[in-house]
Amino acid sequence: MEQVRADGFDEFAAARWSALLHVARLLTGGDRQRAEDLVQEALVKLWFAWPKVAEQAPEAYVRTVLVRMAARSARRRWWGERPVEQLPDRPAPGDVSSTVAERSRLEDALAQLSPKQRAAVVLRYYEDLPEAQVAQALGCPVGTARSHASRGVARLRQILSDAIRPVG
Amino acid sequence: MDDFERNLSRLMRDTQRHTPYEPEHRQRLHAGIRARRRSRMLWKAGGSAVAVAGLSVGLALLPNMLTRAQPADHDRRPQPATSPTPSQDSAPTFDSPDPSPTPTRPASSAPATSTGSSTPSGSTIPPTTYAPTASASESRIATMLPAPPPSSTPTTVPPSAPETKEPSASAGTE
Repeated sequence: MEQVRADGFDEFAAARWSALLHVARLLTGGDRQRAEDLVQEALVKLWFAWPKVAEQAPEAYVRTVLVRMAARSARRRWWGERPVEQLPDRPAPGDVSSTVAERSRLEDALAQLSPKQRAAVVLRYYEDLPEAQVAQALGCPVGTARSHASRGVARLRQILSDAIRPVG
Repeated sequence: MDDFERNLSRLMRDTQRHTPYEPEHRQRLHAGIRARRRSRMLWKAGGSAVAVAGLSVGLALLPNMLTRAQPADHDRRPQPATSPTPSQDSAPTFDSPDPSPTPTRPASSAPATSTGSSTPSGSTIPPTTYAPTASASESRIATMLPAPPPSSTPTTVPPSAPETKEPSASAGTE
Protein backbone atom coordinates (compact mmCIF):
# COMPACT_ATOMS: atom_id res chain seq x y z
CA MET A 1 0.00 0.00 0.00
CA GLU A 2 2.77 2.39 0.96
CA GLN A 3 4.75 1.37 -2.12
CA VAL A 4 1.78 2.04 -4.40
CA ARG A 5 1.38 5.41 -2.79
CA ALA A 6 5.08 6.19 -3.21
CA ASP A 7 5.06 5.09 -6.84
CA GLY A 8 2.08 7.24 -7.75
CA PHE A 9 3.51 10.18 -5.88
CA ASP A 10 6.91 9.86 -7.50
CA GLU A 11 5.36 9.67 -10.93
CA PHE A 12 3.41 12.84 -10.29
CA ALA A 13 6.45 14.64 -8.87
CA ALA A 14 8.66 13.62 -11.81
CA ALA A 15 6.03 14.66 -14.35
CA ARG A 16 5.22 18.03 -12.79
CA TRP A 17 8.53 18.99 -11.23
CA SER A 18 9.66 21.34 -13.97
CA ALA A 19 6.33 23.13 -14.29
CA LEU A 20 5.95 23.48 -10.55
CA LEU A 21 9.44 24.82 -10.25
CA HIS A 22 8.72 27.42 -12.91
CA VAL A 23 5.52 28.51 -11.20
CA ALA A 24 7.37 28.75 -7.91
CA ARG A 25 10.08 30.76 -9.54
CA LEU A 26 7.54 33.18 -10.97
CA LEU A 27 5.81 33.38 -7.61
CA THR A 28 9.04 34.21 -5.85
CA GLY A 29 10.13 36.75 -8.39
CA GLY A 30 12.98 34.64 -9.75
CA ASP A 31 14.49 33.35 -6.52
CA ARG A 32 15.62 29.90 -7.58
CA GLN A 33 16.60 28.53 -4.18
CA ARG A 34 13.45 29.76 -2.55
CA ALA A 35 11.42 28.34 -5.43
CA GLU A 36 12.96 24.90 -4.88
CA ASP A 37 12.21 25.11 -1.18
CA LEU A 38 8.62 26.03 -1.89
CA VAL A 39 8.17 23.14 -4.33
CA GLN A 40 9.72 20.74 -1.86
CA GLU A 41 7.48 21.90 0.97
CA ALA A 42 4.40 21.78 -1.23
CA LEU A 43 5.21 18.24 -2.35
CA VAL A 44 5.80 17.14 1.24
CA LYS A 45 2.36 18.46 2.11
CA LEU A 46 0.98 16.69 -0.91
CA TRP A 47 2.48 13.39 0.27
CA PHE A 48 0.41 13.43 3.44
CA ALA A 49 -2.72 14.41 1.53
CA TRP A 50 -2.01 12.04 -1.35
CA PRO A 51 -4.56 9.34 -0.40
CA LYS A 52 -7.30 11.98 -0.47
CA VAL A 53 -6.34 14.05 -3.50
CA ALA A 54 -4.58 11.53 -5.73
CA GLU A 55 -7.73 10.61 -7.58
CA GLN A 56 -9.04 14.16 -7.75
CA ALA A 57 -6.78 17.11 -8.54
CA PRO A 58 -3.31 16.86 -7.01
CA GLU A 59 -1.95 19.64 -9.20
CA ALA A 60 -4.61 22.08 -8.04
CA TYR A 61 -3.77 21.13 -4.48
CA VAL A 62 -0.08 21.74 -4.99
CA ARG A 63 -0.76 25.01 -6.79
CA THR A 64 -2.88 26.29 -3.93
CA VAL A 65 -0.24 25.25 -1.40
CA LEU A 66 2.47 26.94 -3.45
CA VAL A 67 0.59 30.22 -3.74
CA ARG A 68 -0.24 30.38 -0.06
CA MET A 69 3.22 29.37 1.05
CA ALA A 70 4.78 31.95 -1.25
CA ALA A 71 2.56 34.69 0.17
CA ARG A 72 3.21 33.52 3.73
CA SER A 73 6.95 33.27 3.30
CA ALA A 74 7.01 36.74 1.77
CA ARG A 75 5.15 38.07 4.79
CA ARG A 76 7.14 36.15 7.33
CA ARG A 77 10.66 36.86 6.34
CA TRP A 78 12.57 39.41 4.43
CA TRP A 79 13.64 37.87 1.18
CA GLY A 80 15.45 40.87 -0.23
CA GLU A 81 12.36 42.15 -2.02
CA ARG A 82 12.32 45.87 -1.92
CA PRO A 83 10.80 48.11 -4.57
CA VAL A 84 13.48 50.39 -5.95
CA GLU A 85 13.66 52.86 -8.70
CA GLN A 86 16.70 51.27 -10.34
CA LEU A 87 17.17 47.52 -10.50
CA PRO A 88 20.51 46.78 -8.83
CA ASP A 89 21.36 43.56 -10.69
CA ARG A 90 20.30 44.46 -14.12
CA PRO A 91 22.04 42.06 -16.54
CA ALA A 92 24.51 43.65 -18.80
CA PRO A 93 23.46 43.44 -22.42
CA GLY A 94 25.37 41.03 -24.54
CA ASP A 95 26.84 38.79 -21.90
CA VAL A 96 23.80 36.52 -21.64
CA SER A 97 21.46 35.09 -24.17
CA SER A 98 18.32 36.93 -25.08
CA THR A 99 16.10 34.30 -23.50
CA VAL A 100 17.85 34.53 -20.18
CA ALA A 101 17.78 38.29 -20.34
CA GLU A 102 14.07 38.28 -21.08
CA ARG A 103 13.38 35.89 -18.22
CA SER A 104 15.47 37.93 -15.85
CA ARG A 105 13.64 41.08 -16.84
CA LEU A 106 10.31 39.39 -16.29
CA GLU A 107 11.34 37.99 -12.93
CA ASP A 108 12.69 41.33 -11.82
CA ALA A 109 9.43 42.97 -12.79
CA LEU A 110 7.42 40.34 -10.95
CA ALA A 111 9.59 40.81 -7.88
CA GLN A 112 8.36 44.38 -7.61
CA LEU A 113 4.76 43.32 -7.19
CA SER A 114 3.15 42.44 -3.92
CA PRO A 115 2.87 38.69 -3.25
CA LYS A 116 -0.87 38.68 -3.85
CA GLN A 117 -0.59 40.64 -7.07
CA ARG A 118 2.21 38.40 -8.25
CA ALA A 119 0.27 35.25 -7.49
CA ALA A 120 -2.84 36.58 -9.20
CA VAL A 121 -0.89 37.55 -12.33
CA VAL A 122 0.94 34.21 -12.50
CA LEU A 123 -2.19 32.15 -12.02
CA ARG A 124 -4.17 34.23 -14.47
CA TYR A 125 -1.63 34.63 -17.27
CA TYR A 126 0.68 31.66 -16.90
CA GLU A 127 -1.65 28.98 -15.58
CA ASP A 128 -4.51 30.53 -17.58
CA LEU A 129 -6.94 29.91 -14.76
CA PRO A 130 -10.37 31.53 -14.64
CA GLU A 131 -10.93 34.20 -12.03
CA ALA A 132 -12.92 31.90 -9.78
CA GLN A 133 -10.04 29.43 -9.50
CA VAL A 134 -7.55 32.24 -8.98
CA ALA A 135 -9.69 33.49 -6.12
CA GLN A 136 -9.92 29.99 -4.71
CA ALA A 137 -6.18 29.54 -4.80
CA LEU A 138 -5.61 32.93 -3.21
CA GLY A 139 -8.28 32.34 -0.61
CA CYS A 140 -10.09 35.57 -1.31
CA PRO A 141 -13.28 36.74 -3.08
CA VAL A 142 -13.39 36.85 -6.86
CA GLY A 143 -13.51 40.63 -6.91
CA THR A 144 -10.42 40.86 -4.78
CA ALA A 145 -8.57 38.41 -7.00
CA ARG A 146 -9.62 40.41 -10.06
CA SER A 147 -8.37 43.57 -8.42
CA HIS A 148 -5.04 41.98 -7.57
CA ALA A 149 -4.60 40.77 -11.15
CA SER A 150 -5.54 44.07 -12.77
CA ARG A 151 -3.31 46.10 -10.48
CA GLY A 152 -0.46 43.67 -11.00
CA VAL A 153 -0.82 43.88 -14.75
CA ALA A 154 -0.94 47.65 -14.61
CA ARG A 155 2.24 47.69 -12.60
CA LEU A 156 3.94 45.24 -14.97
CA ARG A 157 2.79 47.29 -17.90
CA GLN A 158 4.52 50.25 -16.41
CA ILE A 159 7.72 48.29 -15.74
CA LEU A 160 7.92 46.24 -18.90
CA SER A 161 6.52 48.66 -21.39
CA ASP A 162 9.86 49.09 -22.99
CA ALA A 163 10.89 45.45 -22.74
CA ILE A 164 8.05 43.57 -24.40
CA ARG A 165 7.69 44.06 -28.05
CA PRO A 166 4.48 43.17 -29.84
CA VAL A 167 4.43 39.74 -31.36
CA GLY A 168 4.92 40.22 -34.99
CA MET B 1 -7.05 40.59 -23.18
CA ASP B 2 -4.98 43.22 -24.91
CA ASP B 3 -1.61 42.91 -26.63
CA PHE B 4 0.35 43.50 -23.50
CA GLU B 5 -1.48 40.77 -21.63
CA ARG B 6 -0.98 38.35 -24.53
CA ASN B 7 2.70 39.16 -24.64
CA LEU B 8 2.95 38.80 -20.90
CA SER B 9 1.37 35.38 -21.10
CA ARG B 10 3.70 34.31 -23.89
CA LEU B 11 6.71 35.63 -22.05
CA MET B 12 5.82 33.66 -18.95
CA ARG B 13 5.52 30.44 -20.93
CA ASP B 14 8.54 30.98 -23.16
CA THR B 15 10.85 31.60 -20.28
CA GLN B 16 10.11 28.19 -18.83
CA ARG B 17 13.07 25.88 -19.07
CA HIS B 18 12.92 22.20 -18.51
CA THR B 19 14.32 21.08 -15.19
CA PRO B 20 14.51 17.30 -14.86
CA TYR B 21 13.45 15.54 -11.72
CA GLU B 22 16.78 14.10 -10.70
CA PRO B 23 17.51 11.42 -8.09
CA GLU B 24 18.91 14.01 -5.73
CA HIS B 25 15.59 15.86 -5.87
CA ARG B 26 13.82 12.62 -5.08
CA GLN B 27 16.15 11.85 -2.15
CA ARG B 28 15.76 15.33 -0.79
CA LEU B 29 12.01 15.13 -1.12
CA HIS B 30 11.77 11.81 0.70
CA ALA B 31 14.12 13.05 3.40
CA GLY B 32 11.75 15.96 3.89
CA ILE B 33 8.80 13.57 4.08
CA ARG B 34 10.55 11.50 6.75
CA ALA B 35 11.41 14.61 8.76
CA ARG B 36 7.84 15.84 8.55
CA ARG B 37 6.53 12.44 9.58
CA ARG B 38 8.83 12.41 12.60
CA SER B 39 7.74 15.89 13.62
CA ARG B 40 4.10 14.94 13.24
CA MET B 41 4.64 11.87 15.41
CA LEU B 42 6.38 13.99 18.03
CA TRP B 43 3.55 16.49 18.00
CA LYS B 44 1.03 13.70 18.37
CA ALA B 45 3.01 12.08 21.18
CA GLY B 46 3.41 15.41 22.92
CA GLY B 47 -0.27 16.16 22.56
CA SER B 48 -1.18 12.76 23.94
CA ALA B 49 1.18 13.21 26.87
CA VAL B 50 -0.31 16.60 27.66
CA ALA B 51 -3.80 15.16 27.45
CA VAL B 52 -2.93 12.24 29.74
CA ALA B 53 -1.21 14.57 32.20
CA GLY B 54 -4.20 16.89 32.26
CA LEU B 55 -6.56 13.98 32.78
CA SER B 56 -4.42 12.62 35.61
CA VAL B 57 -4.27 15.97 37.35
CA GLY B 58 -8.01 16.31 36.98
CA LEU B 59 -8.66 12.87 38.40
CA ALA B 60 -6.23 13.50 41.26
CA LEU B 61 -7.90 16.77 42.19
CA LEU B 62 -11.46 15.53 41.85
CA PRO B 63 -11.59 13.46 45.12
CA ASN B 64 -10.13 16.37 47.08
CA MET B 65 -12.78 18.66 45.72
CA LEU B 66 -15.48 16.17 46.61
CA THR B 67 -14.27 15.67 50.18
CA ARG B 68 -14.00 19.41 50.62
CA ALA B 69 -17.54 19.82 49.46
CA GLN B 70 -19.02 17.17 51.78
CA PRO B 71 -18.82 19.03 55.20
CA ALA B 72 -20.52 22.06 53.79
CA ASP B 73 -23.23 19.82 52.53
CA HIS B 74 -23.56 18.17 55.95
CA ASP B 75 -24.01 21.53 57.69
CA ARG B 76 -26.88 22.36 55.49
CA ARG B 77 -28.65 19.12 56.29
CA PRO B 78 -32.00 19.82 58.08
CA GLN B 79 -32.59 18.89 61.66
CA PRO B 80 -34.34 15.60 62.22
CA ALA B 81 -38.08 15.81 62.54
CA THR B 82 -38.09 13.91 65.84
CA SER B 83 -36.43 16.74 67.69
CA PRO B 84 -38.13 17.03 71.14
CA THR B 85 -38.30 20.79 71.16
CA PRO B 86 -41.90 21.64 71.84
CA SER B 87 -43.46 24.49 70.09
CA GLN B 88 -46.33 26.49 71.42
CA ASP B 89 -48.03 26.59 68.10
CA SER B 90 -48.53 22.90 68.01
CA ALA B 91 -49.75 22.59 71.57
CA PRO B 92 -53.49 22.77 72.03
CA THR B 93 -54.70 25.75 73.93
CA PHE B 94 -57.59 25.20 76.16
CA ASP B 95 -57.51 28.32 78.25
CA SER B 96 -57.82 30.81 75.46
CA PRO B 97 -61.47 31.22 74.81
CA ASP B 98 -62.63 32.34 71.49
CA PRO B 99 -63.95 35.76 72.29
CA SER B 100 -66.13 36.29 69.29
CA PRO B 101 -69.27 34.29 69.57
CA THR B 102 -70.20 32.88 72.83
CA PRO B 103 -71.21 29.42 72.19
CA THR B 104 -74.76 28.81 73.16
CA ARG B 105 -75.52 25.54 74.58
CA PRO B 106 -77.55 23.67 72.12
CA ALA B 107 -80.89 22.54 73.24
CA SER B 108 -80.05 19.08 72.36
CA SER B 109 -77.64 19.05 75.20
CA ALA B 110 -80.48 19.59 77.61
CA PRO B 111 -81.75 16.61 79.30
CA ALA B 112 -84.34 14.97 77.24
CA THR B 113 -86.68 14.74 80.11
CA SER B 114 -86.90 18.43 80.88
CA THR B 115 -90.42 19.66 81.14
CA GLY B 116 -90.82 22.98 79.48
CA SER B 117 -88.46 24.86 81.67
CA SER B 118 -86.79 26.95 79.14
CA THR B 119 -83.22 27.59 79.65
CA PRO B 120 -82.18 31.19 79.53
CA SER B 121 -81.01 32.09 76.13
CA GLY B 122 -78.10 34.09 77.31
CA SER B 123 -76.65 31.39 79.32
CA THR B 124 -73.14 30.65 78.27
CA ILE B 125 -71.18 27.64 78.84
CA PRO B 126 -67.70 28.30 79.92
CA PRO B 127 -65.19 27.02 77.46
CA THR B 128 -63.57 24.94 80.08
CA THR B 129 -66.45 22.56 79.80
CA TYR B 130 -65.49 21.60 76.33
CA ALA B 131 -63.90 18.35 75.89
CA PRO B 132 -60.23 18.78 75.36
CA THR B 133 -60.39 16.90 72.13
CA ALA B 134 -62.73 19.35 70.56
CA SER B 135 -61.03 21.76 68.34
CA ALA B 136 -61.89 25.37 67.94
CA SER B 137 -63.14 24.93 64.45
CA GLU B 138 -65.53 22.29 65.50
CA SER B 139 -66.86 24.54 68.21
CA ARG B 140 -67.31 27.30 65.67
CA ILE B 141 -69.28 24.98 63.49
CA ALA B 142 -71.36 24.05 66.46
CA THR B 143 -72.20 27.66 67.14
CA MET B 144 -73.16 28.27 63.55
CA LEU B 145 -75.74 25.57 63.59
CA PRO B 146 -79.18 26.90 64.40
CA ALA B 147 -80.20 25.87 67.79
CA PRO B 148 -83.53 24.20 67.91
CA PRO B 149 -86.15 26.26 69.63
CA PRO B 150 -86.83 25.24 73.09
CA SER B 151 -89.97 23.22 73.02
CA SER B 152 -92.31 23.25 75.88
CA THR B 153 -93.50 19.81 75.17
CA PRO B 154 -91.42 17.17 76.60
CA THR B 155 -89.41 15.53 74.07
CA THR B 156 -89.54 11.98 74.78
CA VAL B 157 -87.67 9.53 72.97
CA PRO B 158 -90.17 7.42 71.19
CA PRO B 159 -90.11 3.92 72.26
CA SER B 160 -88.84 1.60 69.87
CA ALA B 161 -91.50 0.32 67.61
CA PRO B 162 -92.88 -2.97 68.62
CA GLU B 163 -91.63 -5.67 66.52
CA THR B 164 -94.49 -6.45 64.30
CA LYS B 165 -94.08 -9.55 62.49
CA GLU B 166 -94.86 -8.89 58.94
CA PRO B 167 -96.75 -11.51 57.25
CA SER B 168 -94.42 -13.34 55.22
CA ALA B 169 -95.21 -14.02 51.73
CA SER B 170 -94.82 -17.59 52.36
CA ALA B 171 -97.40 -17.58 55.11
CA GLY B 172 -100.29 -18.21 52.96
CA THR B 173 -98.51 -20.87 51.36
CA GLU B 174 -97.81 -22.65 54.50
